[in-house]
Amino acid sequence: MEKLGDKILDKIKKEKIEPRPKWQFLLRDCSVWLFFLVSLVVGAVAFCVSLYIFLNNDWDLYQYLHTTLVGHVLISIPYVWIAILVAFVLIANYNFKYTRNGYRHETFLVVGLSVAGSLLFGAFLHSMGMGERIENAVSDGLPFYEKMVCCGNRKDIWDHPENGLLGGEITDVFDPENFEVKDFQGAFWSVRETDDTIEYAPLQMIVGEEVKIIGEKEGPDIFWAREIRPWKDRGEKRKTIDRIVPFMPPMLNN
Amino acid sequence: MIKKDECLNKTDEELVALTIENQDFFACLVDRYTDKLTRYIMRISASNREDAEDLLQEIFVKAYRNLNDFDLDLKFSSWIYRIAHNQVISSWRKTKSRPQVVKFEADGDFLKFIAADEDLALDTERKFRAEEVRAVLEKLDDKYEEVLVLKFLEGKDYKEISDILQKPLGTVATLINRAKKQLKTIIEEENINF
Repeated sequence: MEKLGDKILDKIKKEKIEPRPKWQFLLRDCSVWLFFLVSLVVGAVAFCVSLYIFLNNDWDLYQYLHTTLVGHVLISIPYVWIAILVAFVLIANYNFKYTRNGYRHETFLVVGLSVAGSLLFGAFLHSMGMGERIENAVSDGLPFYEKMVCCGNRKDIWDHPENGLLGGEITDVFDPENFEVKDFQGAFWSVRETDDTIEYAPLQMIVGEEVKIIGEKEGPDIFWAREIRPWKDRGEKRKTIDRIVPFMPPMLNN
Repeated sequence: MIKKDECLNKTDEELVALTIENQDFFACLVDRYTDKLTRYIMRISASNREDAEDLLQEIFVKAYRNLNDFDLDLKFSSWIYRIAHNQVISSWRKTKSRPQVVKFEADGDFLKFIAADEDLALDTERKFRAEEVRAVLEKLDDKYEEVLVLKFLEGKDYKEISDILQKPLGTVATLINRAKKQLKTIIEEENINF
């Protein structure tokens, strides 16, 4: 009876079976590691944007919204980005298990390290200002993004003039303390400032600038502003009066 | 053709390196593992010898094709057992049925080997009847069968089992402990006196 070893060698020779070249296995291993790293980076990006959205939400506003701090926290969580973070941490774990020795490590350890990696790298990206850039890019590129993601661009919060919150676009500037805003429903408001009105940099009082205003409604179309914030990227506080610099003729500048 | 003597003093790993240069050396590896793997396949898949040999051919051809993927971090035996394990599973998937009762060692070897484990403290001198063995095995969960086979019949240590089944060491240890506990419960429930 023919030995199995001989039978198999005959088959190998007859069918001209060759060992697959080393580079194919190397390529496979590199791809798995690449997918793992890409998953970690996408997770980090998701965390970085979540952090940006969460930290840049108007935390001092919940009192105007008739909600509690906890309620405000719950509506402020960027669930979509957190779901992306979780999904990519799991994908990273799945890829890691397919690395050459990935099976030797316990799932909780791999998931824990993937989470830690995404969070640390995400925090680093946030510190480099990437959260804002990515959020702006996604917001500009995806028309449905604003409806899906809380909170930086959430317009419904700023559509309550009766509660002291008005958002919209400046359509006319009458003088340094009086301008017109078109709200998200298309209504026009005459917004008036006082010497005590606070503005937040980098607000520019020009037509087309989108603003968030806290104040008080007076009559059907007048709104007294207590605070004016640019729609995005709230910076330092400043008084309206500081913006109104007296006109200096050029010759006096020297 | 390679003479038998040329393989005798070579390790598996050396034979793999030689096979890459000269395919005839692969026959030595096949000879070394034919009996072990046939037994292993029959133990975990309830195949008869003919089916096991068909499967074995596929396993060795697959191993030959993937020789360059052999990782020196592993023992060759762990690597080839892993291929066998995966091939058996893929053959289950193809036929879409997994045998309900693994008929391995119905002559009593299985319990005799397990009985030697100090956690179970069974009588190692006792002869086990085939129906007693079957009664125990029928009730054992599928997921525990293979670890018990690898541990007690194939004599693999935890690290080797981890490399064969591609599971973390901790998971292997847990599976073996749970398998032993379940075995003990079944033996007590079946009122088998060991």
